[in-house]
Amino acid sequence: MNALMTRPESRKKIALQGIAFIMVGAAFIFLWNDLKKTATAHIQTSSVSRISGTLPSLLSDLNLILPISLMAVLFGVACAFYLEEWLPATSWVRRFIESPVDFLIEIPSLLYGLLAITIFFNYAGIFKEIGTPPLQNVNESGLDVIPFQRNTTIFYAEALIFILMVTPVALKTTQEALRSVATPIRESAYVLGANQWQVLAKQVVPLAFPRILSGACRAMSRAFAAAALLIGIHISDHTTGPRGIPDRFMLFLGGALLLSTISSFLKESRLETSPTVTARHDSL
Amino acid sequence: MKSNNQNGSQNPAVIEVADLKVRYGDKSALKGVSFDVYRNEILGIIGPAQSGKTTLLKVINRTLEFTPDTTVEGSVRLDGEDISTIGDVYGLRRRIGMVQPLPVGLPLSIYDNVAFAPRTAGVRSKSELDETVERCLQQAALWEEVKDRLSTLGTKLSGGQQQRLTIARALSHQPDILCLDEFSIAVDPITTMRIEDVLKTLQTEMTILLVTNLVQQAKRLANRTAFFLNGDLIEIDATDIIFSENPSEQATYDYVNGTFG
Repeated sequence: MNALMTRPESRKKIALQGIAFIMVGAAFIFLWNDLKKTATAHIQTSSVSRISGTLPSLLSDLNLILPISLMAVLFGVACAFYLEEWLPATSWVRRFIESPVDFLIEIPSLLYGLLAITIFFNYAGIFKEIGTPPLQNVNESGLDVIPFQRNTTIFYAEALIFILMVTPVALKTTQEALRSVATPIRESAYVLGANQWQVLAKQVVPLAFPRILSGACRAMSRAFAAAALLIGIHISDHTTGPRGIPDRFMLFLGGALLLSTISSFLKESRLETSPTVTARHDSL
Repeated sequence: MKSNNQNGSQNPAVIEVADLKVRYGDKSALKGVSFDVYRNEILGIIGPAQSGKTTLLKVINRTLEFTPDTTVEGSVRLDGEDISTIGDVYGLRRRIGMVQPLPVGLPLSIYDNVAFAPRTAGVRSKSELDETVERCLQQAALWEEVKDRLSTLGTKLSGGQQQRLTIARALSHQPDILCLDEFSIAVDPITTMRIEDVLKTLQTEMTILLVTNLVQQAKRLANRTAFFLNGDLIEIDATDIIFSENPSEQATYDYVNGTFG
């Protein structure tokens, strides 16, 4: 079955990745001005604070990432089980979910963050909220203290992005893990009169578990990688002075991201001819 | 088509296949076959590759449902009951033992492999399971080789031993019908003979469908033999007639005597 499906499958993948690439590129170009505005506007409005540096935000991010990405991973795994084990192979729901998932996986995690900043900060009106000077508390010693408090809107924005970023990876890897359990093994269990739950519990899950686990790790690492970007968000939130990301550097970053998208697109779609393919042609 | 005990068989029909058509997508695998299988007989099913033998077995125990994009027309009756309307499909599969062509050791110990089916059926008593495991392994001519290491992984056995393990597994739920799909593909001739002897004794308890590429095996074992070709049932008759000098179809004679293929 798998051998038969390889060709249309890979063609579909190429098409999807092409669309993903174009959309990401287009979004990046359209949002570039906004992105620039965000960076510069932020520097002007950010207030002087006594707490600077990235450590606090990094710690608070870890605090956020761990539970949220765990939940996202569990959600993704559960979705994958439903898609693979319960939905019939021809169901439209499966197609409906799988295409966006394939699409979301292809987006580099850093890009998620960039888009998220622009969209959430500019268009969701969150930006204004951040732009207001933070509440200044004065303690007994007379020093003003920035309360180490998380902006709830940012929290939800981050949480949403994490779920969007982590769930598809967990879903896809779990699906692959479940598919990797060979059909003959399932069938020979079914032949012996086992029902679906028994087959799942006794055969499929024990065999697929290592792969599911490594997939979950991959999904989590994706979340942690994006923490880098959130540090970026918080740098401008917490630090003093005009220390935003220079325009040129942003341009370089954007270029690098586009290049990485292209290269991953090329690699995945196997547009480069692999030696085995050529060898086969030669023998023919 | 109702069974009418042709060929002088005294036993009632267990499986009645009537105008069975199976298609994978737009490719026809079975093109309207009809025949009956009688109680306690061994029906040999022979035919070249792509003739629909395995598909037939998959229809009978309803594992064809796992293959997407298949259409099944016609009816298969098991003890007079249409299998497509049976609600308890797991119960149906427990009534049919199935040995697949390539041995698939479940990733469990030898003991658990054989005890899998009784356990799924709800048997919990240790002594009962022990007894079943020993009986089935002995019937599959494997007991002597593995009795000291029942707790090792079933997948660690050699190919031939795994094949016999699958036979033991197929017997473990005491089926009414035993379907063997090329069981001897990975088994040496001596062991094959031992299993064939077991099959002859099992015939008193169950009906056996024997799909085989070894036409001589069908000749040795089967009471009746069916010859399939490209999804059509060319001929079904007593084994003596199929393997005689004058079966009713020329194609049968050619296949059995190796002049075609």
